[in-house]
Amino acid sequence: MAQGATVVTTPGLTSFLKSLKTTPADPSVDYLIALLKRRQIRSSRPCAIATTALLLRVVGEFKGRDAAKLVQRIRDVGRLLVAAQPREVVVGNIVRRVLGLVREVVDENMDSDTNVTNETEAGSQPEASSPRRPVLSSSISTFSPLHYAVAEPMHSSFQSEATFDSADLSRRPPLTASHTTSLGHSLFGLFSHPETPSASNTPTGQQSPTGKGLTTLNLERLADFNKSNVNVDLKAEVQDGIKELQDELEQSDELIAANALEHIHANEIILTHTASTSVQKFLLAAARKRKFTVVHAETHPLDHTATYGMALTGKKREHTPSDEEETWKPLIAAGIEVYVIPDSHVFAIMSRVNKVILATHTVLANGGLVAASGAAMIAKAAKEHQTPVVVVSGVYKLSPVYPFDIADLIEYGDAGSVVPYDDGDFVDKVDVEAPLFDYVPADLVDLYITNLGGHAPSFLYRIVADHYRTEDITL
Amino acid sequence: MPPKGKKNAVAEKPKAGEEERDEPLQAVILTDPFETRFSPFTLEQPRCLLPLVNTPLIEYTFEFLANAGVQEIFVYCGAHREQVEVYISRSKWSSRSSPFSRLEVIQSTARTVGDAMRDLDTRSLLVGDFVLVYGDVVSNLPLESALAAHRERRTKDKNAIMTLVLREAGQNHRTKARGTKPIFVVDPSRDRCLHFEQMPNREGSHFLSLDPDLLSHEEIEIRSDVIDCGIDICTPDVLALWSDNFDFQAPRKDFLHTVLKDYELNGKTIHTYIVEDHYAARVRNLHAYDSVSKDIISRYAYPLCPDTNLLQDQSYQAYRGNIYKEQGVILARSCVIKPKTAIGRATSVGDGTVISRSVIGRHCQIGRDVTIEGAYIWDYASIGDGCTVKQSVIANEATLRKNCTVEAGALISYGVIIGEGKTISGQHRITRAKRKRTDGEELDKGEADVSVVGPGGDGFEFHDSEEEEEEEIVDGLVPPDPNLSLSAQSISTLNSEGDDDSDMAQNLNRPAADSFVSVGSQDSYASQHAANFDHDASASIYDSLEKGHESANIQLELTALRMSTNASDHQVRRSIVLSFVKRIVQLIKSDSSAKSAVDQVFGQHKELLERSIFDKTQAKKVDQVDFMLLLQTELSHRETGDIILLSAATKLVELDIIEEDGITQWWEDAKASDGQEMKAVREKTQQLIDFLNDSSESEDEDDEEEEDSE
Repeated sequence: MAQGATVVTTPGLTSFLKSLKTTPADPSVDYLIALLKRRQIRSSRPCAIATTALLLRVVGEFKGRDAAKLVQRIRDVGRLLVAAQPREVVVGNIVRRVLGLVREVVDENMDSDTNVTNETEAGSQPEASSPRRPVLSSSISTFSPLHYAVAEPMHSSFQSEATFDSADLSRRPPLTASHTTSLGHSLFGLFSHPETPSASNTPTGQQSPTGKGLTTLNLERLADFNKSNVNVDLKAEVQDGIKELQDELEQSDELIAANALEHIHANEIILTHTASTSVQKFLLAAARKRKFTVVHAETHPLDHTATYGMALTGKKREHTPSDEEETWKPLIAAGIEVYVIPDSHVFAIMSRVNKVILATHTVLANGGLVAASGAAMIAKAAKEHQTPVVVVSGVYKLSPVYPFDIADLIEYGDAGSVVPYDDGDFVDKVDVEAPLFDYVPADLVDLYITNLGGHAPSFLYRIVADHYRTEDITL
Repeated sequence: MPPKGKKNAVAEKPKAGEEERDEPLQAVILTDPFETRFSPFTLEQPRCLLPLVNTPLIEYTFEFLANAGVQEIFVYCGAHREQVEVYISRSKWSSRSSPFSRLEVIQSTARTVGDAMRDLDTRSLLVGDFVLVYGDVVSNLPLESALAAHRERRTKDKNAIMTLVLREAGQNHRTKARGTKPIFVVDPSRDRCLHFEQMPNREGSHFLSLDPDLLSHEEIEIRSDVIDCGIDICTPDVLALWSDNFDFQAPRKDFLHTVLKDYELNGKTIHTYIVEDHYAARVRNLHAYDSVSKDIISRYAYPLCPDTNLLQDQSYQAYRGNIYKEQGVILARSCVIKPKTAIGRATSVGDGTVISRSVIGRHCQIGRDVTIEGAYIWDYASIGDGCTVKQSVIANEATLRKNCTVEAGALISYGVIIGEGKTISGQHRITRAKRKRTDGEELDKGEADVSVVGPGGDGFEFHDSEEEEEEEIVDGLVPPDPNLSLSAQSISTLNSEGDDDSDMAQNLNRPAADSFVSVGSQDSYASQHAANFDHDASASIYDSLEKGHESANIQLELTALRMSTNASDHQVRRSIVLSFVKRIVQLIKSDSSAKSAVDQVFGQHKELLERSIFDKTQAKKVDQVDFMLLLQTELSHRETGDIILLSAATKLVELDIIEEDGITQWWEDAKASDGQEMKAVREKTQQLIDFLNDSSESEDEDDEEEEDSE
C-alpha cells in the first residue's frame, strides 16, 4: 500500500479534530453527536478533548457581545451533546466548566466595573465589593491530613503564575479562568520553572473568584454585561479560558503522577485494573525511584487486549494510529514486575496486595465512582481485606451529577463479547448482559488523587462546588 | 471445460480510476433487492423504510457506511422511489453536517440486481473501489481492515476484483439464511473464494458437487457457517463483468457462481474477508427481520441499539433486562413489561397487559389484559382489550378490536382492521392494498373480506400473484417446521495429500444428513456434469461464434462435450439457442440490423443446427417444436425479441432447418402462447405464419416470397 495515507480511515477523535479546523461549528456539533452515538469517540479523555475543542470553536464563531446569549448557545450545544451519549458524563462536565468560564469573565468585569480604580492594578482583587465569600479552594487540602508534600511548591508557584499573568494581560484581572485551571497552570509552572522562587504566599482562596452565592446577581449581570462593558473582549477571554482547560486536560496525568511517590512505596504490591493511561503514568512515575510489584487484573473481555498491550508494549492497541496516542515505555521496561491475572483471582490475591489503584470513568459528587466493570468487585474485595483503595482521576472527570439512579450511569455493551455470537443456540436462548461500567460506592474508596492532589471521598463535594456553578448543574 | 485460447473482453476494458487512490470511497446501496420478501408490507412502503426496532432499515445501512468512512453514496431505488427520496432528503444524511459529501438517489426501471448493475456501469458514476451493500444491512463492522486487505491485493494483482465480507456464525444461527444455504469454498491461505453454491435447504439436498480441479489447491475450506451479509467491496471491473454477461441476474447465484467458475476464462479472482467479531447481517426476509431485531435488542449489534437513538428525535433509554422505553411512554400501574422489549414514544399500555420480547412503535394504544409476545407492532397501531398477539407483525395504523387473537406468523398490513373476537391464524397475510396489474406502483384498495377479518373489519387475504419463482423459500416469521429447517453439517478442510482418504472416509461414513461434501463420488459426478453442460456448452459455442470458428469445429467440440456429460438433445438445443441469441443480440448492439445479424449467425452455422434436429422424417416434429419454443422463450425477455424471432423463424424456414410443419406445430403448441411475454414476442411472427399458410398452396414461389415478407 504505497498510498497508505489516503486509505479511508474509520472516523474517530483524530478525524474529528482535523475536520474541526475546516468545518463551521454547527456541522461539527452534529458530527460530534454522530461520533458519540456511534461510540467512535468513547471514554473520558477523548470525549473531554473533543468537547473542549468543539466549544472553543463554538465560542470562536459566536457573533456579538451578549454574554447571556453566549451562555445560551453553549448550553444548547451542551444539551445536544449530553443527549447523544448521556453516559459520557465528562461531556457535561466540560460544558459546565465552559459555562462557568463565561460567567466568571462576566463577574470579573462587573467587579472591575464597579471598582474602576482597581482595574489597572493587577493582582488586587476587589474582594470587598462583591458579595463573594472567600472560597475554600482545593488548596484546603493543604490542611488535610491526606495531603503530603505538594502543598509547599504549589504555593510558591502561585506567585510566578500571577505575575506572569498580570504582565501578559495587564488589563485583565489575574484570574479570569476557573480556579482549577489556574492551579493546573501553576503546577505546570512549577515543573517548568522550579528555580523561580516567590516571596509572597498569597492564599489561593483570595484568588479564586468561584463565587457560589452569586446565582441571582449573576443572571442580572449576564443581562447588562453587554451595556456596561464595551471594552471587554468576552470572546477572547473565554477562549483563553478554554485553552487553559485544554492545558489542564493535557497535563492532568503528569500532575497526578507527581503524587506517585507519596503513595507507592518500595516493595509494595499494587493491584490495578484496566488499561488506563493515568494509572500507567502514575505507576511509571513511581517506578523511576522505587521497585514494586504490579498485579494487573485483565478485565476480560471488555478491555483485555488493551491491558495486554499496556503491559507488554505500553500502547493500548497495536493498530491505532500513533498520532493521537502517545507512547511510553511499559512498566516492565522500567524494571517493574507485572503480573496479569484474570479478574476472578482478585479476591484470592487481595490479601497480599498493599494498595489498589483504580482508574475511573467518572467520579460522582457523592464520592462514588463509575469505572470499568470489575472495579466494584475489586473494591469490595479490598474492603474485605482492609486494603486501601486509591482512585486516580483528573478533575475533569469529577462530575456534579449525583447518582440517584445508578442504572442510568451504567452502559451495557456488546453481549457478543461475553458469549461468542457464533454460538447460535446460546445467542437464541440465553439473555446476556455485558455492563461496561460498575458503580463503586464512596465507602469503598479511601483516597482520590486528582491533579489537585489527594482528597478524601467525603471531600469531593467541595471540589465540585469549586468547579461548577450551581446554576449550571442542570444543563 | 471452458475452451482454451482465451480472448478476454473484460481485460481490455479500460480500468477507470485505477491509479487514482485519492478518490473518495464510494458506496452503492441497493434499496430494493428485487425480491418480494416483505409482502404485503412492501406494497405500500419501500422495504428500506420498514422499521426495524422502530428505526427505518436504511438508517442502519447509512450508519454502517458512515462508520466505514464512506463519502459518496448512490442509493439505487426500485419501487417507491418518491418515498425513499423524500425520506432521505429529510434525514440528517442530506443535511449539511452529513458525513457524506454526496448522496444521490438513482431511479431505475431495473427488475433485477443485474439490470441495476449494468445500468450503473453505463452511468459511470463509480470511479474507484466501491462498497456495494443492500438497503437492509445492519452492521457495526469497521470496514477499514477489509478495505485495506482489498487494496493490498489489488495493487498486487489487478484481477482481484471483489472482496466479500462474511461473518462467521456457527452451525445453527437464527440470523443465518434459512431456505437456501450459501456455501463458500475458500482457499484460506490467500482468502480466495474458489467456488460458490447455493444449496436449497430441502430434503435430500445435502450434497454439493465440486469441481475436482478445486482439489489442486493446497488447502480448501468448505464453509456453510457464515452469514452472507451482502457487503461487497468491488472494483469498477465488477460492473464491467456484469455488463458483459447480460444474463446475470442475482449477485450471488449468477454473478459470483459464474465468475468463479469462469476463472480460467477471465482470470478474475474474488476474495473473502471473514470476520469473527462485530455484527453483520442482512434483513433479507421476515425471519431475518425477527432475528436481527432480537440481536439489536440484546445488544449484539452494539452500538446499534435502541438507546443509541439513531434518529434525531428518538429518546430511548435502556433499562435493566434490555427493556427500552422512549420518553413519554404511558404504562398502567399493573401492566408488566418483560425483558427484551422496546416501546416507542406516546404509546399507552393498559392495566393487566403483559408484553414480552416485543417491539412496539410510537403512538400505539394497547388495551387492558392484552398479551403480546414476540410481536412487532409498528406505529399508530391499536390493540383492543383482551387481545393476544404472538410472534406476528402488525403494521402502522392497523387495528385489532377487542378479544382478537393473532397467532404466530401472521402479518397484518397497514390500516387493516380486525373485527371483534376474530382469530387470525399463522399463515394469514392480511392487507388492504392491491397492486394494479398494469403498473406496479399504483395501488388499489381492495374489498374487505369479512370471512378473514371478521365483521366490521377491513382488509383481505394477500395473494402474491407475482411471486417470483425463486429457489429460495419465502421465509416466514416463524419457521414452518423446526425439523425441516435445520440440518447439521460437517465442514471439512481437504488437504491435497489426504484427498482420496478423506473422500473415501466421507463416502463411507456419511450419515445421510450430516455431510454434504461428496467430492468425486460416483453419483454426483454425472449429475454435476449434466448440470454444467448447459453452462459450458453455451459459453463455448458463444465463444466460437464470436471468434468465427467453423461450424464443423464447433460441432466437434459440442459433440465431445455432449458425450462426456451425457447431455440430452434438448440440452444441446438449448445451449445452441442460448449462444446464438446471445450472439445475435450482441451483433445488433454493434449496429447491424436484426435480419442481417440473424442471417449471419444462422446462415454460417446451418450444419450445427441441422445436427441438433433429428425429426425431419417424422410426422410429429417434436425436436423442431422444441427448438422453436426454446428460441421463443429465450427471446421473450430480450429487447426487440419479437423482431429477432420473426427474422430467425423466417431464416430457419428458408434454410429448411425447420420445416413448415414444424413451424405450424410450434405455432399451435399450447406452450408457445403461454403467458403474456410469450404472446407478445411472437406477435410479429404472425405474418410469417399467415404467409406460410398462403404459400402452402403455391409452393414453388416460396423462397422469393419469403424474402419479400420481411
